[in-house]
Amino acid sequence: MKATSIMKRFRIDPAIGIVSGLVLLLAIIGFFISDRFGTIQNLTNILENSVSLGLASLGQTLVILTGGIDLSIGGVINLASCLTSGMINGDSRLVVPVIVGVLLLGILIGFINGSLTVWLGVHPLIVTLGMSMVLQGVTLLYTLVPPGAMPLSFDFIAYGRILGVPFAPVVMILIFIIMGVFLRKTSLGRHVYAVGDNAEAARLSGIRQNWVVIFVYSACGFFAALTGIYLVSRMGIGDPRVGEYYMLSSITPVVVGGTILAGGKGGVTGTLIGVFLIILLRNLLNFMDITSFYQWIIEGLIIIIAVSFYVEKRKL
Amino acid sequence: MSDSPISVDSGEMSALRRAIPFFQKYGLYVFLVILLIVAFSVSPQFFSPRNIQNLLTDGAPLGMAALGQTFVILTGGLDLSVGSLMSTVAVIATSIKPDNIMILPIFLISICFGALVGFVNGWLVTKRKVSPFLATLATMIVLQGIRFAYTKGAPLSGDLPPGFRVLGTGTLLSIPVNLVVLAFLIFVFAILLYRSSYGRKLYLVGGNPRAAFLSGINSDLVIIAAYMICAILASIAGLFLVGYVGSVDNWVGRGYELDSIAAVMMGGASFKGGKGGIFGSIAGVIVLIVIYNLVLLLGLPIQAQLVVKGLVIILAASFYLTRSN
Repeated sequence: MKATSIMKRFRIDPAIGIVSGLVLLLAIIGFFISDRFGTIQNLTNILENSVSLGLASLGQTLVILTGGIDLSIGGVINLASCLTSGMINGDSRLVVPVIVGVLLLGILIGFINGSLTVWLGVHPLIVTLGMSMVLQGVTLLYTLVPPGAMPLSFDFIAYGRILGVPFAPVVMILIFIIMGVFLRKTSLGRHVYAVGDNAEAARLSGIRQNWVVIFVYSACGFFAALTGIYLVSRMGIGDPRVGEYYMLSSITPVVVGGTILAGGKGGVTGTLIGVFLIILLRNLLNFMDITSFYQWIIEGLIIIIAVSFYVEKRKL
Repeated sequence: MSDSPISVDSGEMSALRRAIPFFQKYGLYVFLVILLIVAFSVSPQFFSPRNIQNLLTDGAPLGMAALGQTFVILTGGLDLSVGSLMSTVAVIATSIKPDNIMILPIFLISICFGALVGFVNGWLVTKRKVSPFLATLATMIVLQGIRFAYTKGAPLSGDLPPGFRVLGTGTLLSIPVNLVVLAFLIFVFAILLYRSSYGRKLYLVGGNPRAAFLSGINSDLVIIAAYMICAILASIAGLFLVGYVGSVDNWVGRGYELDSIAAVMMGGASFKGGKGGIFGSIAGVIVLIVIYNLVLLLGLPIQAQLVVKGLVIILAASFYLTRSN
């Protein structure tokens, strides 16, 4: 009772309360399980592992807030990662133009997703699924093996430290804060919620619903491309299959964090905590020597447990 | 306002008005015919008996999966666990003694396992009010975990009973065995869907839940049954798939969940439920396998299949889905 009244007082979404509680619980368990859990090295490790899932889920959050879904994230990540390392091919002068190009390509793919959804009236699940197949095919036509090479200094993006502080996680959290403020304080951000909550009311109140939808898919494409570039830096090379995992896994932190698939409710804060929950859990299971196979079982159970606690509007 | 121009030149418009529902209803079949003509004109071998036989043998497991998916999508849901269930059932099949006597027990065990998975999906969706996307995503991941924990991630060394090869690749009077089974399943489930009270209830629950509730239908039971039908058919599809492929790896059913959903959607179903049907879904399956085949006959690299398939799914969905909502 007391906890809920505190949450109400500070206007905390109950979902965020639950997920934060779980993160805290896992962290406490972690300290008991292993001495090494609390070391700076391990905590940095957890933060660094969160970056790629965080970026991918951030884009997914925006799309889901409008009541859509993007299954092409994995395809964009694959293509972005292969193009980045294949086109740069060890030449450090090409780094900036290629990255800019790949990010623009991500935006373009998202723009096409959004446009097809809006103008053809086809369900986003089908549009983005089709797009994901197209992208996977294009990526595999481009290369079947990890292509090209990266200049050594490129690994700064993933492993860089500024005054001992890991660079990538800080940037990721900053991006989350910016997007959180954007969703709360700007009119476009509010429109994202309005479209997801009640598309008809949004249309009647003069919101250019179609453009809002196109915007969120473009943003999602951008973040997926960014994830692809980050993964190149982390692994040192592009990989035509690296993104497959993110196609459906980018959805887990979003829903665990309290954003509902029907749209209009939730936010990026919950997603960020959801990402930490999943990465923390994996870290703990690794400490306990539990293989990834059991981790899948646990991940599936977490989805079920989390969402059966939240109230969902019945839609897809 | 928007109605007035229509009444002015009514002759022309009414023809168009009649054409639009026609395309919404039969668009996929028109598309399929066009596709077959294209297939024949680019490659005359397309209609050779051998190629048709290959094509249908290849497509039968997808047909079974899509048949089940149709029931779930009619309730306004979808089932993402189909592919994972197919792989899991395939693993079960290889872990039992490779003897033809065991074929029937393997089928029974797999069907029971499928029924259980379907029940869990349906229970989560109806009683726990989890959205179908998440409920079946979670079962998909859990099944994947169970399968890998069981096989330790290694490719399976176990063998299949030899009879499975016959089921998966054999022919009966030059008709593929798995196609005969698919035809039988279509027949049975078409009767269930179109000639039984359950079928009527399913359309009502999907299309108008409020009316279903008011007319005293136990919607939860109808929906749970749909998920169980889907999972049972997926289990059967998994067994025929493993018979066709001949060996099992942990990912053998991968992609079938999304392919089957795409086939059903192309067949005129809607994620809102209550729309679509078995024959549309089967037509959707045929479109998908014809495309696969066409890419091969054209001598394009295999990766091009994905590109063409993705484009055709979007195209076909938009072809007759001209903003009907």
